[in-house]
Amino acid sequence: MKSIAIAFKNLQRKKIRSFLTVGGVGVAVAVLVSLMGFDEGYQRGLRSDIDKMGFQVLITAKGCPYEAATLMLKGGGGLRYMDQEVYSKIINDPRVAAITPQLVHTVYDPDKNNGQGGLALYMGIHRSFLDLKPWIKFKSGNWFSQDDAEEVIMGYEAAEFEQRSIGDKIFIPGIEKILTVAGIFERTGTQDDGLIFLPLVTAQNIFGLPDQLTGIGIKLKEISQIAGFEEDLYDEPGIQVISMAEVRGTIFNLISSAKVMTNSIAIIAIFVAVIGVVNTILMSVFERTKEIGVMKAIGASRFDIFRIIWIETTLICVWGGIMGNLFAIIAARLVEHMLRGILPYAPSGHLVVITGGLLLSSFMGAIIMGLVAGIYPALRASSMRPIEAIRRGE
Amino acid sequence: MAVNSFKSVITVFISLGILLITYSASAAVGCTLNDPERDLRRIFPESTGYKTSFHTIEGAGREGLKKKVESLLNDRLDPVYEAEDVPYAYYDVLKGKEVIGRVHGINQKGAYGGIQIILATDLEGNIVDFYYQRISSPQARYFRDESFTQQFIGLGLEDLYRQDMLEKIKQPTPGETEDFFNTLRGIKKNLILLDAFYFDGMQNSRIGKVEKGERP
Repeated sequence: MKSIAIAFKNLQRKKIRSFLTVGGVGVAVAVLVSLMGFDEGYQRGLRSDIDKMGFQVLITAKGCPYEAATLMLKGGGGLRYMDQEVYSKIINDPRVAAITPQLVHTVYDPDKNNGQGGLALYMGIHRSFLDLKPWIKFKSGNWFSQDDAEEVIMGYEAAEFEQRSIGDKIFIPGIEKILTVAGIFERTGTQDDGLIFLPLVTAQNIFGLPDQLTGIGIKLKEISQIAGFEEDLYDEPGIQVISMAEVRGTIFNLISSAKVMTNSIAIIAIFVAVIGVVNTILMSVFERTKEIGVMKAIGASRFDIFRIIWIETTLICVWGGIMGNLFAIIAARLVEHMLRGILPYAPSGHLVVITGGLLLSSFMGAIIMGLVAGIYPALRASSMRPIEAIRRGE
Repeated sequence: MAVNSFKSVITVFISLGILLITYSASAAVGCTLNDPERDLRRIFPESTGYKTSFHTIEGAGREGLKKKVESLLNDRLDPVYEAEDVPYAYYDVLKGKEVIGRVHGINQKGAYGGIQIILATDLEGNIVDFYYQRISSPQARYFRDESFTQQFIGLGLEDLYRQDMLEKIKQPTPGETEDFFNTLRGIKKNLILLDAFYFDGMQNSRIGKVEKGERP
């Protein structure tokens, strides 16, 4: 207890130096926590986005499967179309628990992208859409009155942005079409919130794509049947079968290389912080050479000196750990905002998720860092000979 | 010396904290300019900078403001899309240290989608520029046309209550009336809010006249 009090007083002697060293450790811990939190948040968000698509298997026209899956997640142009006949073939497969056809189409909207112009995405859906996404509820209104009704259902954010209520009109630029709002979905926290949905038949008619689809979402009765199901459809011309688990795995593999880079940054930050701590404590030891000599001369053992210096180093890292954790929590939303601006695709939900476990492990890591960083200065201090130290310190 | 330096370090950290809080607080905004730098320079070529502030209808000292705004607008504010907590962005345009004008936008429900009406006003609150940042309509190009928007230049809030003045404003297309009236409502709402946030209590404030029982 006495050693802790002495160590604490020693650190208080040079407040600014101690504070800056604590700050250095704090920044390193904050970087580490933010990066780990981002890794956790991105994985969770992506998993949630893919799960909230509602299907395990996606059938699309032949092309790049990951591009197709990303388009379904994120939206965009350059979609490929397949014949609706494929849907009729699969719908009666006994392994299928739920199936929904979709037609995604983009039109040029001059007001998109902050007035720069861009593609606005519309999705033609069938009633079975709700079978695959049972969590979607109506905030107001209802499903389309007919399969070919000139109506739309709007995602929560799309309705908010366009200030639409049930019965209002909505204008689709590019094709100069006016449709009526039949329903507005409640917020789902997914890309669906920003979309405008049309009846599949209406979408095929107004976009001039009769009997065409961009995707078929499928949920199987047994997840173990995916491999066999994919195999059976392998020879079907013009289509490809994408397992969402594969998509998830591939995206995770792609981001793992970025993860190596971010982890390297965190390790460098910690390394720099450790050097800073060692330097600060060593300087402090050299400045107190005479004092250490006197302490030894009046009976302090090598272990007593070692313990005081070691505690000083650990205290710095403990405070740095606390400061870094607090800073990471406070700055999480700002970091998230910045990352969203940089990343080409950011999943919905929080991008930086800081869990209790992460905070605890980073705090424990800071303590270990302190214990390791303190060994050398503590050994230097404890190995000083009293007479020599007093003489050198004069 | 050491104590002063320590205080400075603490001040820097607290300032950073406040900056982070205000940064996240300003994230949700009703209608902001797409590209303030470019948009403000286009409207006020002589400007050297700008200062942004956010105002809401709710808040301390603004009790009853919603009713006053509705009374002046002669219409109810939409409880969902024109809620009291919607933050309105105001850009004070600077020339050196001097404020030379103000730019502000509002969201207005249109016939076929959301309309974003941006007004630039002089220091008296008279319109010096008006454009649609967004309008979703089959007739959008007629509404955006300068022959329509230029008719509002020079008008102030008082003018929008003068029948003779309104009758002079020609609709952009003969058949389209809904978005014309939506535009008038949006411009009026924009000027009423400017009056409420910047001129309330001044001699010519219309909000002040309502408080005194003088209907516009």
